[in-house]
Amino acid sequence: MFSTIRQAARARTMSLTTARTSPSNIMRIPGCRTIVTKKYTEEHEVVAFDDETGLGAVSITHHAQESLGDVVFVELPAVGTKVSKGDQIGAVESVKAASDIYAPVSGIVTEVNEALNSEPGLLNRSPEEKGWLCKIKLSAPEEINALLTLESYKATWEA
Amino acid sequence: MISFSFRYVPSAARRLYTTASGASSVITPTHSIYLSTSTNPYFNLSFEDWLFRHAPQKEPLLLLYRDAPCVVIGRNQNPWKEVNLRAARAQGIPWIRRRSGGGTVYHDLGNTNFSIHVPRTTFDRGATAQVILRAVRALGIDADVNERNDICVGGEKASGSAYKIVSGRAYHHGTMLITTRLETLGDLLRVDKDTMITKGVASVRSPVCNLAQFSKKVSHEMFVNAVVDSFKAEYGVHDEPCIVNDTDDLARIGYIQRGMAELPSWDWAFGQTPEFEYTIKKPFVWGDVTAHIHARHGVILSCTLQGLDSELGKALEGKRYGFIEDEELGVDLSGRREVVWAWLNEEMKSYD
Repeated sequence: MFSTIRQAARARTMSLTTARTSPSNIMRIPGCRTIVTKKYTEEHEVVAFDDETGLGAVSITHHAQESLGDVVFVELPAVGTKVSKGDQIGAVESVKAASDIYAPVSGIVTEVNEALNSEPGLLNRSPEEKGWLCKIKLSAPEEINALLTLESYKATWEA
Repeated sequence: MISFSFRYVPSAARRLYTTASGASSVITPTHSIYLSTSTNPYFNLSFEDWLFRHAPQKEPLLLLYRDAPCVVIGRNQNPWKEVNLRAARAQGIPWIRRRSGGGTVYHDLGNTNFSIHVPRTTFDRGATAQVILRAVRALGIDADVNERNDICVGGEKASGSAYKIVSGRAYHHGTMLITTRLETLGDLLRVDKDTMITKGVASVRSPVCNLAQFSKKVSHEMFVNAVVDSFKAEYGVHDEPCIVNDTDDLARIGYIQRGMAELPSWDWAFGQTPEFEYTIKKPFVWGDVTAHIHARHGVILSCTLQGLDSELGKALEGKRYGFIEDEELGVDLSGRREVVWAWLNEEMKSYD
Protein backbone atom coordinates (compact mmCIF):
# COMPACT_ATOMS: atom_id res chain seq x y z
CA MET A 1 0.00 0.00 0.00
CA PHE A 2 2.62 2.59 0.90
CA SER A 3 5.40 3.50 -1.43
CA THR A 4 7.40 5.31 1.19
CA ILE A 5 8.09 2.03 2.91
CA ARG A 6 11.21 0.39 1.61
CA GLN A 7 10.75 -3.33 1.53
CA ALA A 8 13.71 -4.95 3.17
CA ALA A 9 15.07 -8.05 1.53
CA ARG A 10 13.15 -10.99 2.81
CA ALA A 11 15.16 -13.49 4.80
CA ARG A 12 15.31 -16.49 2.51
CA THR A 13 15.68 -18.86 5.43
CA MET A 14 12.57 -17.58 7.17
CA SER A 15 9.79 -20.09 7.09
CA LEU A 16 6.31 -18.73 6.81
CA THR A 17 4.07 -20.85 8.93
CA THR A 18 0.95 -18.82 8.54
CA ALA A 19 -1.53 -21.65 8.77
CA ARG A 20 -1.47 -21.66 12.54
CA THR A 21 -2.63 -18.59 14.36
CA SER A 22 -0.11 -17.91 17.09
CA PRO A 23 -1.29 -17.13 20.62
CA SER A 24 -0.20 -13.50 20.34
CA ASN A 25 -2.80 -12.90 17.63
CA ILE A 26 -5.77 -14.14 19.57
CA MET A 27 -7.32 -12.01 22.26
CA ARG A 28 -9.61 -13.85 24.64
CA ILE A 29 -11.76 -11.39 26.48
CA PRO A 30 -12.57 -12.67 29.99
CA GLY A 31 -16.22 -13.49 30.54
CA CYS A 32 -16.86 -13.39 26.82
CA ARG A 33 -16.62 -16.15 24.24
CA THR A 34 -15.63 -13.77 21.43
CA ILE A 35 -12.35 -14.54 19.73
CA VAL A 36 -10.76 -11.76 17.68
CA THR A 37 -7.92 -12.72 15.35
CA LYS A 38 -5.57 -10.11 13.95
CA LYS A 39 -3.95 -10.85 10.60
CA TYR A 40 -1.81 -8.69 8.34
CA THR A 41 -1.11 -8.09 4.65
CA GLU A 42 2.07 -7.16 2.83
CA GLU A 43 0.36 -3.94 1.83
CA HIS A 44 0.35 -2.94 5.50
CA GLU A 45 -3.32 -3.54 6.25
CA VAL A 46 -4.63 -5.28 9.36
CA VAL A 47 -7.86 -7.19 9.77
CA ALA A 48 -9.23 -7.83 13.26
CA PHE A 49 -11.64 -10.69 12.62
CA ASP A 50 -14.38 -11.54 15.10
CA ASP A 51 -15.46 -15.07 14.26
CA GLU A 52 -18.75 -14.71 16.14
CA THR A 53 -20.03 -11.73 14.15
CA GLY A 54 -18.15 -12.61 10.98
CA LEU A 55 -16.98 -8.99 10.80
CA GLY A 56 -13.42 -7.91 10.06
CA ALA A 57 -12.35 -4.43 11.15
CA VAL A 58 -9.82 -3.11 8.59
CA SER A 59 -7.02 -0.73 9.61
CA ILE A 60 -3.55 0.24 8.52
CA THR A 61 -0.61 -0.88 10.61
CA HIS A 62 1.41 1.24 12.98
CA HIS A 63 4.41 0.79 10.70
CA ALA A 64 2.37 2.11 7.78
CA GLN A 65 1.24 5.27 9.55
CA GLU A 66 4.83 5.98 10.54
CA SER A 67 5.99 5.74 6.94
CA LEU A 68 3.07 7.74 5.60
CA GLY A 69 3.65 10.81 7.71
CA ASP A 70 0.81 13.06 8.82
CA VAL A 71 -2.47 11.90 7.31
CA VAL A 72 -4.51 14.82 5.99
CA PHE A 73 -7.39 13.07 4.24
CA VAL A 74 -9.03 9.65 4.18
CA GLU A 75 -11.35 8.41 1.46
CA LEU A 76 -13.53 5.53 2.61
CA PRO A 77 -15.81 3.12 0.75
CA ALA A 78 -19.59 3.46 0.82
CA VAL A 79 -21.48 1.26 3.25
CA GLY A 80 -22.97 -1.62 1.32
CA THR A 81 -20.11 -1.85 -1.19
CA LYS A 82 -19.30 -5.40 -2.21
CA VAL A 83 -15.54 -5.94 -2.33
CA SER A 84 -13.23 -8.70 -3.43
CA LYS A 85 -9.86 -9.25 -1.81
CA GLY A 86 -7.40 -6.88 -3.48
CA ASP A 87 -9.99 -4.36 -4.74
CA GLN A 88 -9.29 -0.72 -4.04
CA ILE A 89 -11.61 0.34 -1.23
CA GLY A 90 -10.31 3.79 -0.40
CA ALA A 91 -7.30 6.05 -0.24
CA VAL A 92 -5.20 7.93 2.24
CA GLU A 93 -3.54 11.25 1.52
CA SER A 94 -0.65 12.19 3.74
CA VAL A 95 1.83 15.02 3.44
CA LYS A 96 4.01 12.53 1.57
CA ALA A 97 1.67 10.91 -0.95
CA ALA A 98 -1.79 9.80 -2.01
CA SER A 99 -1.93 6.02 -1.44
CA ASP A 100 -4.63 3.55 -2.32
CA ILE A 101 -6.05 1.13 0.28
CA TYR A 102 -6.97 -2.39 -0.78
CA ALA A 103 -9.48 -4.84 0.68
CA PRO A 104 -7.57 -7.53 2.60
CA VAL A 105 -10.61 -9.84 2.48
CA SER A 106 -13.76 -10.22 0.38
CA GLY A 107 -17.22 -9.30 1.61
CA ILE A 108 -19.58 -6.38 2.13
CA VAL A 109 -18.70 -3.10 3.83
CA THR A 110 -21.08 -2.79 6.78
CA GLU A 111 -19.68 0.25 8.54
CA VAL A 112 -17.13 3.02 7.96
CA ASN A 113 -15.36 5.13 10.57
CA GLU A 114 -17.00 8.54 10.11
CA ALA A 115 -14.68 10.02 12.74
CA LEU A 116 -11.92 9.99 10.10
CA ASN A 117 -13.77 12.68 8.14
CA SER A 118 -13.06 15.25 10.81
CA GLU A 119 -10.01 13.63 12.36
CA PRO A 120 -7.84 12.03 9.69
CA GLY A 121 -4.99 12.24 12.20
CA LEU A 122 -6.56 9.30 14.07
CA LEU A 123 -4.78 7.11 11.55
CA ASN A 124 -1.49 8.37 12.94
CA ARG A 125 -2.44 8.48 16.63
CA SER A 126 -4.28 5.17 16.86
CA PRO A 127 -4.00 3.30 13.57
CA GLU A 128 -5.16 -0.11 14.76
CA GLU A 129 -7.79 1.01 17.28
CA LYS A 130 -9.58 4.36 17.02
CA GLY A 131 -8.33 4.87 13.47
CA TRP A 132 -10.09 1.78 12.06
CA LEU A 133 -11.18 2.36 8.46
CA CYS A 134 -14.17 0.12 7.83
CA LYS A 135 -15.81 -3.14 8.82
CA ILE A 136 -16.33 -5.90 6.30
CA LYS A 137 -18.73 -8.80 6.67
CA LEU A 138 -16.54 -11.57 5.29
CA SER A 139 -18.01 -13.63 2.50
CA ALA A 140 -15.18 -16.16 2.77
CA PRO A 141 -13.84 -16.33 6.35
CA GLU A 142 -11.23 -18.87 5.30
CA GLU A 143 -9.40 -15.99 3.55
CA ILE A 144 -8.17 -14.97 7.01
CA ASN A 145 -6.00 -18.09 7.17
CA ALA A 146 -3.97 -17.01 4.14
CA LEU A 147 -3.03 -13.64 5.66
CA LEU A 148 0.17 -13.01 7.61
CA THR A 149 0.70 -13.31 11.36
CA LEU A 150 2.28 -10.36 13.13
CA GLU A 151 5.70 -12.03 13.04
CA SER A 152 5.46 -12.87 9.35
CA TYR A 153 4.25 -9.36 8.56
CA LYS A 154 7.12 -7.78 10.47
CA ALA A 155 9.55 -9.99 8.60
CA THR A 156 8.39 -8.49 5.30
CA TRP A 157 9.81 -5.08 6.16
CA GLU A 158 12.18 -5.41 9.08
CA ALA A 159 15.84 -5.37 8.14
CA MET B 1 3.52 23.42 -33.64
CA ILE B 2 6.30 23.48 -31.12
CA SER B 3 9.57 22.39 -32.62
CA PHE B 4 12.21 20.78 -30.51
CA SER B 5 15.93 21.02 -31.01
CA PHE B 6 16.18 17.45 -29.86
CA ARG B 7 18.52 14.71 -30.75
CA TYR B 8 15.63 12.29 -30.94
CA VAL B 9 13.68 10.60 -33.68
CA PRO B 10 9.91 11.21 -33.83
CA SER B 11 7.61 8.43 -32.70
CA ALA B 12 6.33 7.56 -36.16
CA ALA B 13 9.66 5.89 -36.81
CA ARG B 14 9.23 3.57 -33.85
CA ARG B 15 6.60 1.28 -32.39
CA LEU B 16 4.84 3.08 -29.60
CA TYR B 17 3.23 0.17 -27.96
CA THR B 18 2.65 -3.54 -28.28
CA THR B 19 -0.58 -5.43 -28.57
CA ALA B 20 -0.65 -8.71 -26.75
CA SER B 21 -1.30 -11.57 -29.12
CA GLY B 22 -4.41 -13.64 -28.78
CA ALA B 23 -7.88 -12.65 -27.73
CA SER B 24 -6.78 -9.92 -25.35
CA SER B 25 -6.19 -6.57 -27.00
CA VAL B 26 -4.41 -4.92 -24.10
CA ILE B 27 -1.99 -2.31 -25.37
CA THR B 28 1.06 -1.57 -23.24
CA PRO B 29 3.73 1.12 -23.38
CA THR B 30 7.14 -0.18 -24.44
CA HIS B 31 9.39 2.85 -23.92
CA SER B 32 11.05 4.24 -20.82
CA ILE B 33 11.03 7.91 -21.76
CA TYR B 34 8.09 9.79 -23.26
CA LEU B 35 7.93 13.40 -24.38
CA SER B 36 4.47 14.74 -25.12
CA THR B 37 4.19 17.58 -27.59
CA SER B 38 0.49 17.93 -26.86
CA THR B 39 -0.44 20.94 -24.72
CA ASN B 40 -3.91 19.57 -23.95
CA PRO B 41 -3.94 19.05 -20.16
CA TYR B 42 -6.78 16.50 -20.36
CA PHE B 43 -4.72 14.41 -22.76
CA ASN B 44 -1.46 14.80 -20.84
CA LEU B 45 -2.99 13.81 -17.49
CA SER B 46 -4.86 10.87 -19.03
CA PHE B 47 -1.80 9.72 -20.99
CA GLU B 48 0.23 9.91 -17.78
CA ASP B 49 -2.37 7.82 -15.97
CA TRP B 50 -2.38 5.27 -18.82
CA LEU B 51 1.41 4.97 -18.63
CA PHE B 52 1.14 4.61 -14.84
CA ARG B 53 -1.36 1.77 -14.99
CA HIS B 54 0.01 -0.10 -18.01
CA ALA B 55 3.79 0.21 -18.15
CA PRO B 56 5.87 -2.79 -16.96
CA GLN B 57 5.83 -2.62 -13.16
CA LYS B 58 9.53 -3.10 -12.61
CA GLU B 59 10.82 -0.55 -15.13
CA PRO B 60 11.40 3.12 -14.33
CA LEU B 61 9.62 5.53 -16.69
CA LEU B 62 9.84 9.26 -17.36
CA LEU B 63 7.26 11.55 -18.97
CA LEU B 64 7.74 15.24 -19.72
CA TYR B 65 5.06 17.61 -21.01
CA ARG B 66 3.73 21.16 -21.06
CA ASP B 67 0.14 22.34 -20.84
CA ALA B 68 -1.65 25.36 -22.33
CA PRO B 69 -2.69 27.66 -19.47
CA CYS B 70 -4.73 25.86 -16.78
CA VAL B 71 -5.00 25.55 -13.02
CA VAL B 72 -4.53 22.06 -11.59
CA ILE B 73 -5.85 21.19 -8.12
CA GLY B 74 -4.99 18.13 -6.02
CA ARG B 75 -7.21 15.06 -5.76
CA ASN B 76 -8.72 16.01 -2.42
CA GLN B 77 -8.96 19.76 -2.72
CA ASN B 78 -11.84 22.23 -2.84
CA PRO B 79 -11.97 24.24 -6.10
CA TRP B 80 -14.07 27.00 -4.55
CA LYS B 81 -11.37 27.52 -1.95
CA GLU B 82 -8.30 27.08 -4.15
CA VAL B 83 -9.17 28.62 -7.52
CA ASN B 84 -10.36 32.10 -8.37
CA LEU B 85 -13.09 30.59 -10.55
CA ARG B 86 -14.39 33.90 -11.89
CA ALA B 87 -10.96 35.14 -12.91
CA ALA B 88 -10.18 31.80 -14.54
CA ARG B 89 -13.45 31.82 -16.46
CA ALA B 90 -12.93 35.44 -17.51
CA GLN B 91 -9.52 34.56 -18.96
CA GLY B 92 -10.75 31.36 -20.59
CA ILE B 93 -8.43 29.28 -18.40
CA PRO B 94 -9.81 25.89 -17.32
CA TRP B 95 -9.13 24.24 -13.98
CA ILE B 96 -8.66 20.51 -13.56
CA ARG B 97 -8.60 18.09 -10.63
CA ARG B 98 -5.67 15.71 -11.01
CA ARG B 99 -5.42 12.16 -9.59
CA SER B 100 -2.45 12.69 -7.28
CA GLY B 101 -2.61 14.47 -3.94
CA GLY B 102 -1.03 17.76 -2.98
CA GLY B 103 -1.88 21.39 -3.66
CA THR B 104 -2.87 23.74 -6.46
CA VAL B 105 -0.56 24.82 -9.28
CA TYR B 106 -0.76 26.93 -12.43
CA HIS B 107 0.48 25.55 -15.73
CA ASP B 108 1.32 27.49 -18.88
CA LEU B 109 3.83 27.00 -21.68
CA GLY B 110 6.54 28.53 -19.50
CA ASN B 111 6.15 25.61 -17.07
CA THR B 112 7.43 22.10 -17.77
CA ASN B 113 5.93 19.07 -16.04
CA PHE B 114 7.90 15.94 -15.19
CA SER B 115 6.60 12.56 -14.06
CA ILE B 116 8.84 9.74 -12.79
CA HIS B 117 7.25 6.30 -12.37
CA VAL B 118 8.94 3.48 -10.44
CA PRO B 119 7.99 0.22 -8.69
CA ARG B 120 6.21 0.88 -5.40
CA THR B 121 8.73 -1.09 -3.37
CA THR B 122 11.69 1.09 -4.40
CA PHE B 123 9.94 4.45 -4.44
CA ASP B 124 11.86 7.15 -2.60
CA ARG B 125 10.63 10.67 -3.22
CA GLY B 126 13.92 12.15 -2.05
CA ALA B 127 15.77 10.17 -4.70
CA THR B 128 13.39 11.20 -7.48
CA ALA B 129 13.69 14.82 -6.37
CA GLN B 130 17.46 14.50 -6.73
CA VAL B 131 17.06 13.37 -10.34
CA ILE B 132 15.34 16.68 -11.08
CA LEU B 133 17.69 18.70 -8.88
CA ARG B 134 20.74 17.33 -10.68
CA ALA B 135 19.16 18.33 -13.98
CA VAL B 136 18.57 21.91 -12.81
CA ARG B 137 22.09 22.16 -11.42
CA ALA B 138 23.48 20.84 -14.70
CA LEU B 139 21.95 23.94 -16.30
CA GLY B 140 24.19 26.05 -14.08
CA ILE B 141 21.47 27.04 -11.60
CA ASP B 142 22.25 26.86 -7.89
CA ALA B 143 19.09 25.08 -6.74
CA ASP B 144 18.25 23.10 -3.60
CA VAL B 145 15.55 20.81 -2.24
CA ASN B 146 13.64 22.17 0.79
CA GLU B 147 12.15 20.21 3.70
CA ARG B 148 8.91 19.67 1.76
CA ASN B 149 10.86 18.07 -1.10
CA ASP B 150 10.33 21.13 -3.36
CA ILE B 151 13.08 22.41 -5.63
CA CYS B 152 13.92 26.00 -4.74
CA VAL B 153 16.33 28.67 -5.89
CA GLY B 154 17.27 31.48 -3.56
CA GLY B 155 14.58 30.48 -1.06
CA GLU B 156 11.72 30.58 -3.58
CA LYS B 157 9.92 27.60 -5.06
CA ALA B 158 10.60 26.85 -8.69
CA SER B 159 8.82 23.51 -8.54
CA GLY B 160 5.95 21.81 -6.70
CA SER B 161 5.51 18.05 -6.44
CA ALA B 162 2.82 15.47 -5.81
CA TYR B 163 2.94 11.72 -5.41
CA LYS B 164 0.69 8.76 -6.02
CA ILE B 165 0.99 5.15 -4.94
CA VAL B 166 -0.99 2.09 -6.00
CA SER B 167 -0.26 -1.54 -5.30
CA GLY B 168 2.59 -2.08 -7.74
CA ARG B 169 3.70 1.39 -8.82
CA ALA B 170 4.35 4.88 -7.54
CA TYR B 171 5.02 8.22 -9.20
CA HIS B 172 6.51 11.55 -8.35
CA HIS B 173 5.33 14.29 -10.66
CA GLY B 174 5.75 18.00 -10.51
CA THR B 175 6.06 21.37 -12.16
CA MET B 176 9.12 23.39 -13.06
CA LEU B 177 8.63 27.12 -13.54
CA ILE B 178 10.91 28.27 -16.34
CA THR B 179 9.25 31.34 -17.91
CA THR B 180 5.74 31.18 -16.46
CA ARG B 181 3.60 34.32 -16.16
CA LEU B 182 3.82 34.62 -12.40
CA GLU B 183 1.29 37.45 -12.16
CA THR B 184 -1.35 35.25 -13.77
CA LEU B 185 -0.41 32.46 -11.38
CA GLY B 186 -0.93 34.84 -8.49
CA ASP B 187 -4.33 36.07 -9.77
CA LEU B 188 -5.81 32.65 -10.36
CA LEU B 189 -4.60 31.10 -7.13
CA ARG B 190 -5.70 33.97 -4.92
CA VAL B 191 -8.99 33.23 -3.20
CA ASP B 192 -10.37 35.13 -0.33
CA LYS B 193 -12.84 32.75 1.36
CA ASP B 194 -11.59 32.61 4.93
CA THR B 195 -15.00 31.52 6.20
CA MET B 196 -15.04 28.42 3.99
CA ILE B 197 -13.72 25.58 6.14
CA THR B 198 -12.76 22.49 4.20
CA LYS B 199 -12.10 18.92 5.38
CA GLY B 200 -10.06 18.48 2.23
CA VAL B 201 -6.43 19.30 1.64
CA ALA B 202 -5.35 22.94 1.76
CA SER B 203 -2.53 24.27 -0.39
CA VAL B 204 0.63 25.50 1.31
CA ARG B 205 1.34 28.85 -0.31
CA SER B 206 4.91 29.81 -1.11
CA PRO B 207 6.64 32.57 -3.03
CA VAL B 208 7.67 31.31 -6.46
CA CYS B 209 10.32 32.08 -9.07
CA ASN B 210 11.19 31.13 -12.65
CA LEU B 211 14.45 29.37 -13.53
CA ALA B 212 14.87 32.02 -16.23
CA GLN B 213 15.53 34.56 -13.49
CA PHE B 214 18.79 32.73 -12.79
CA SER B 215 19.99 31.81 -16.26
CA LYS B 216 19.72 33.60 -19.60
CA LYS B 217 19.85 30.38 -21.60
CA VAL B 218 17.42 28.11 -19.80
CA SER B 219 14.41 26.94 -21.82
CA HIS B 220 11.87 24.10 -21.92
CA GLU B 221 14.04 22.18 -24.39
CA MET B 222 17.18 22.55 -22.29
CA PHE B 223 15.37 21.48 -19.12
CA VAL B 224 13.88 18.45 -20.90
CA ASN B 225 17.29 17.37 -22.23
CA ALA B 226 18.84 17.78 -18.78
CA VAL B 227 16.10 15.73 -17.07
CA VAL B 228 16.34 12.98 -19.69
CA ASP B 229 20.11 12.77 -19.16
CA SER B 230 19.74 12.76 -15.37
CA PHE B 231 17.03 10.06 -15.51
CA LYS B 232 19.11 7.87 -17.82
CA ALA B 233 22.13 8.18 -15.53
CA GLU B 234 20.14 7.41 -12.37
CA TYR B 235 18.29 4.36 -13.67
CA GLY B 236 20.76 3.03 -16.23
CA VAL B 237 18.31 3.55 -19.07
CA HIS B 238 19.61 3.84 -22.62
CA ASP B 239 16.38 4.14 -24.62
CA GLU B 240 15.81 7.07 -26.84
CA PRO B 241 12.71 9.11 -25.94
CA CYS B 242 9.43 8.48 -27.68
CA ILE B 243 7.59 11.62 -28.79
CA VAL B 244 3.78 11.50 -28.60
CA ASN B 245 0.93 13.84 -29.42
CA ASP B 246 -2.82 13.80 -28.90
CA THR B 247 -3.24 13.45 -32.67
CA ASP B 248 -1.43 10.09 -32.67
CA ASP B 249 -3.30 6.80 -32.92
CA LEU B 250 -2.46 6.13 -29.31
CA ALA B 251 -4.75 8.94 -28.19
CA ARG B 252 -7.65 6.79 -29.38
CA ILE B 253 -6.92 4.12 -26.78
CA GLY B 254 -10.15 3.61 -24.80
CA TYR B 255 -8.53 4.11 -21.40
CA ILE B 256 -7.12 7.49 -22.48
CA GLN B 257 -10.38 8.58 -24.12
CA ARG B 258 -12.32 7.69 -20.98
CA GLY B 259 -9.85 9.61 -18.82
CA MET B 260 -10.13 12.69 -21.03
CA ALA B 261 -13.93 12.53 -20.75
CA GLU B 262 -13.92 12.00 -17.00
CA LEU B 263 -11.65 14.89 -16.00
CA PRO B 264 -13.98 17.75 -17.03
CA SER B 265 -17.17 15.97 -15.85
CA TRP B 266 -19.11 17.43 -12.92
CA ASP B 267 -18.83 14.12 -11.05
CA TRP B 268 -15.04 14.27 -11.04
CA ALA B 269 -14.33 18.00 -11.05
CA PHE B 270 -16.87 19.11 -8.44
CA GLY B 271 -18.33 15.83 -7.16
CA GLN B 272 -15.00 14.78 -5.62
CA THR B 273 -14.86 17.84 -3.37
CA PRO B 274 -14.48 16.84 0.28
CA GLU B 275 -16.90 18.05 2.92
CA PHE B 276 -16.88 21.77 3.64
CA GLU B 277 -18.78 24.40 5.62
CA TYR B 278 -19.22 27.97 4.51
CA THR B 279 -20.54 30.75 6.73
CA ILE B 280 -21.48 34.09 5.25
CA LYS B 281 -23.35 37.09 6.56
CA LYS B 282 -24.97 40.11 4.97
CA PRO B 283 -26.99 43.03 6.28
CA PHE B 284 -30.41 43.50 4.70
CA VAL B 285 -32.96 46.25 5.30
CA TRP B 286 -34.70 44.12 7.95
CA GLY B 287 -31.54 42.91 9.65
CA ASP B 288 -28.58 40.64 9.19
CA VAL B 289 -28.90 37.26 7.53
CA THR B 290 -26.32 34.60 8.31
CA ALA B 291 -26.12 31.51 6.13
CA HIS B 292 -24.31 28.37 7.19
CA ILE B 293 -23.93 25.98 4.27
CA HIS B 294 -22.73 22.41 4.74
CA ALA B 295 -21.80 20.46 1.62
CA ARG B 296 -20.14 17.21 0.69
CA HIS B 297 -19.18 15.87 -2.73
CA GLY B 298 -20.39 19.11 -4.28
CA VAL B 299 -23.93 18.66 -2.94
CA ILE B 300 -25.54 20.81 -0.23
CA LEU B 301 -26.35 18.77 2.87
CA SER B 302 -27.92 21.65 4.74
CA CYS B 303 -28.27 25.40 4.69
CA THR B 304 -29.21 27.07 7.94
CA LEU B 305 -30.42 30.64 7.70
CA GLN B 306 -30.69 33.07 10.56
CA GLY B 307 -32.74 36.14 9.78
CA LEU B 308 -35.10 34.37 7.36
CA ASP B 309 -37.69 31.60 7.51
CA SER B 310 -36.37 28.11 6.92
CA GLU B 311 -38.11 27.34 3.59
CA LEU B 312 -35.29 28.61 1.37
CA GLY B 313 -32.59 26.81 3.35
CA LYS B 314 -34.50 23.51 3.18
CA ALA B 315 -35.03 23.93 -0.56
CA LEU B 316 -31.25 23.95 -1.09
CA GLU B 317 -30.74 20.53 0.45
CA GLY B 318 -29.63 17.94 -2.07
CA LYS B 319 -28.84 20.54 -4.74
CA ARG B 320 -25.48 20.99 -6.44
CA TYR B 321 -23.51 23.79 -4.79
CA GLY B 322 -22.97 26.62 -7.25
CA PHE B 323 -25.15 25.14 -9.99
CA ILE B 324 -28.71 25.78 -8.83
CA GLU B 325 -31.33 27.19 -11.19
CA ASP B 326 -34.14 29.23 -9.68
CA GLU B 327 -36.76 26.81 -11.00
CA GLU B 328 -35.20 23.87 -9.12
CA LEU B 329 -35.95 25.38 -5.76
CA GLY B 330 -39.70 24.84 -5.72
CA VAL B 331 -40.38 27.67 -3.29
CA ASP B 332 -42.04 31.01 -3.72
CA LEU B 333 -39.16 33.40 -4.33
CA SER B 334 -40.65 36.74 -3.49
CA GLY B 335 -39.98 39.44 -0.96
CA ARG B 336 -37.18 38.70 1.43
CA ARG B 337 -36.52 35.26 -0.01
CA GLU B 338 -35.85 36.79 -3.42
CA VAL B 339 -33.05 39.07 -2.25
CA VAL B 340 -31.53 36.49 0.08
CA TRP B 341 -31.54 33.89 -2.70
CA ALA B 342 -29.92 36.36 -5.11
CA TRP B 343 -27.17 36.94 -2.54
CA LEU B 344 -26.61 33.22 -1.80
CA ASN B 345 -26.59 32.35 -5.47
CA GLU B 346 -24.04 35.03 -6.19
CA GLU B 347 -21.79 33.81 -3.37
CA MET B 348 -21.96 30.17 -4.48
CA LYS B 349 -21.90 30.61 -8.18
CA SER B 350 -18.89 29.08 -9.83
CA TYR B 351 -19.20 31.03 -13.04
CA ASP B 352 -20.74 34.33 -14.15
